[in-house]
Amino acid sequence: MEANTSWVRVSGLTKRYGALAALQDVSFGIRRGEILGLIGPNGAGKTTLFECMAGVLPPSAGAILVEDREVTPRERSDLLFYLPDAIAPWPSQPVRWVLDFAVGFFGARADVLEDVIESFALQTLLDDPIGTLSKGQRKRVMLAVGLLMRQPLLLADEPFDGLDLRQSREVAATLREHVSKGRTLFLSIHQISDAARICDRFVLLSGGRTCGEGTLDELAARAQQRSARPAGRDLEEVFLALT
Amino acid sequence: MRSPKGAWIWLVGKEWRELVASRSWWVMLAVMGPLVGFGFISAVRTYGEASGLNGTAIGVGEAFSPLVGIWAPTFSACELAAAFLLPFVAIRLVAGDRQSGALKLELQHVMPAIGRVGTKALVLVGGWAIASAAPATAVALWWTYGGSIYAPELAGVMAGHLLNAGLTIALAAAAASATDHPSTAAIVTLTATVGTWVVNFVAAVHGGVWERIARYTPTAMVAEFQHGLIRLEVVLAALTLIAAGLALAAIWVQLGVAVKRRAIESMAVAAATALVLAACMRVTASWDVSEARANSFAREDEAALARIPGPLTIEVHLAPEDPRRVDLEHRALSKLRRVRPDVRVRYVSATSIGLFEQTSEGYGEIRYELGGRTAVSRSTTAEAVLETIYELAGATPPVESEDSVFRGHPLTATTKGAAVVFYGVWPVIVIAVGLSPRWPGRRKKVKRKR
Repeated sequence: MEANTSWVRVSGLTKRYGALAALQDVSFGIRRGEILGLIGPNGAGKTTLFECMAGVLPPSAGAILVEDREVTPRERSDLLFYLPDAIAPWPSQPVRWVLDFAVGFFGARADVLEDVIESFALQTLLDDPIGTLSKGQRKRVMLAVGLLMRQPLLLADEPFDGLDLRQSREVAATLREHVSKGRTLFLSIHQISDAARICDRFVLLSGGRTCGEGTLDELAARAQQRSARPAGRDLEEVFLALT
Repeated sequence: MRSPKGAWIWLVGKEWRELVASRSWWVMLAVMGPLVGFGFISAVRTYGEASGLNGTAIGVGEAFSPLVGIWAPTFSACELAAAFLLPFVAIRLVAGDRQSGALKLELQHVMPAIGRVGTKALVLVGGWAIASAAPATAVALWWTYGGSIYAPELAGVMAGHLLNAGLTIALAAAAASATDHPSTAAIVTLTATVGTWVVNFVAAVHGGVWERIARYTPTAMVAEFQHGLIRLEVVLAALTLIAAGLALAAIWVQLGVAVKRRAIESMAVAAATALVLAACMRVTASWDVSEARANSFAREDEAALARIPGPLTIEVHLAPEDPRRVDLEHRALSKLRRVRPDVRVRYVSATSIGLFEQTSEGYGEIRYELGGRTAVSRSTTAEAVLETIYELAGATPPVESEDSVFRGHPLTATTKGAAVVFYGVWPVIVIAVGLSPRWPGRRKKVKRKR
């Protein structure tokens, strides 16, 4: 498959809560081996989109396609793994056990376990229960769990939330390293500066609709066409112009 | 993806760790000892007093049966725990995953939802079995006092409480899965429990169809087991309700399924449950596992009754709350139904208490019909009922063998060591083990204290 063609396509994804449409006909593509950023303001539907893609929420319409074929729930669990934001799973269990559980229950990769522990600086936290960790520490553990999984596509909701600048940069480097080894990442990021630093391409979401998809240059060109004021190569300006 | 068996073993381990990490389970364990102890100590004292005063005589043997005198009051603590403590343990285990967000991760595994819910139920039954060490200790103490233990009746009581715990777990699991918050699940579970008590109350007042339904409530089921009666229809009904509860829990624990579809699946489960329960009602097999044969006529009478041809119809003109009706039902008709499943009993009354029917013509009558012959009696004793039936059938009443009379096991024992074990040793051990830093989630807290 060529690098610039979509490997996974999200097609016409819609989620309604009664009269309220949280997502409306959302469509975009994910390329193999890229870091795709999902950008949008609060309430844009980013988490809803991730949960519909992961099968955590039932979509009202739409499908996920791989090579133009709709994936079944079974195939989806082999294709992608979703890391929700703001969760503290198994709060009484120590970090070491949680990582072992990921390997034992989900069949995650035991061979990279120690590397992942080192990458996210979890050595000193291994005996600590999840429930006693800070938000940032918990986020690092959850990212470690995500990167241990065998699924080629990882969906992470707000992967930098709770991390300080240094940690954000270190985590971004670790994520980039895993992408270089063949993993594909789809990250929901509300901090546009974080997104600009790590993502190869972007999907802009606003009011439950896709407002744009592409690299920063592609989005900037599109923003230029729309707006009289040049947006330049600043993602924040591009985002504001397109949403 | 990990093999289903390997994943399941990890899931069992995870649920076990979550159970021992929950305070509600440790509280249930700690409370279980004193609850059982209070029942056991009171029962042994009463049993001893009755044994010392009355000796052993024909007819009072049942009073000296450990089944009624010791096991029923001792194990009643399990009924209390199953109603008021176990639901919280079960809700904590089922709803905890939703609260913490673990469910969103775990449900991405292809394991079927019923497998997850079944695993939780299995671990909860294991947790209940550990809590049952308290009544088991009472059994051991009774044995050391020289008390009689009749294994089938004791096993029957334990099976009844296990089924009751299973019903509680299934109900709590369904409530925890179908509601968004554990407090809502607790309210739903307790409402259902209280609802079964209301059914029992209404059945006692109004009789009729309510009486039929009330036979399947957990309270009635446990009462039967505590009297050594195991009715297959009740066991099957309890197992059906447990399966239905777990199936509903499995339907509602799924996240990525539309509510409409889950509602349709729930209705299908409810319909299937109703059909199976209706089928269960037709099952008549039962076993009297009590040593005193408390739920059976004498063997000679049973043989004679079984030989009598033709359908037997009994019309009882007594109100539901009339003590004579309760007496007749428990002492005679329930035993008769076990020997003659074809017996048709019809209760007739205009009021629930019968107080203002006493002067009505025919009130208090028990009308028998067998092979076209009829008889009327007002006596509610088992002996009178049998006599009337033999008379109608033209049969000679059998002579009851002296050997078949249960004379009971009177025992005047002191409750030596019981108070220390149940009020002291048990809670101390549970608290000490529960607070041990070796359990998951405790190590860090201990470290920080240092």
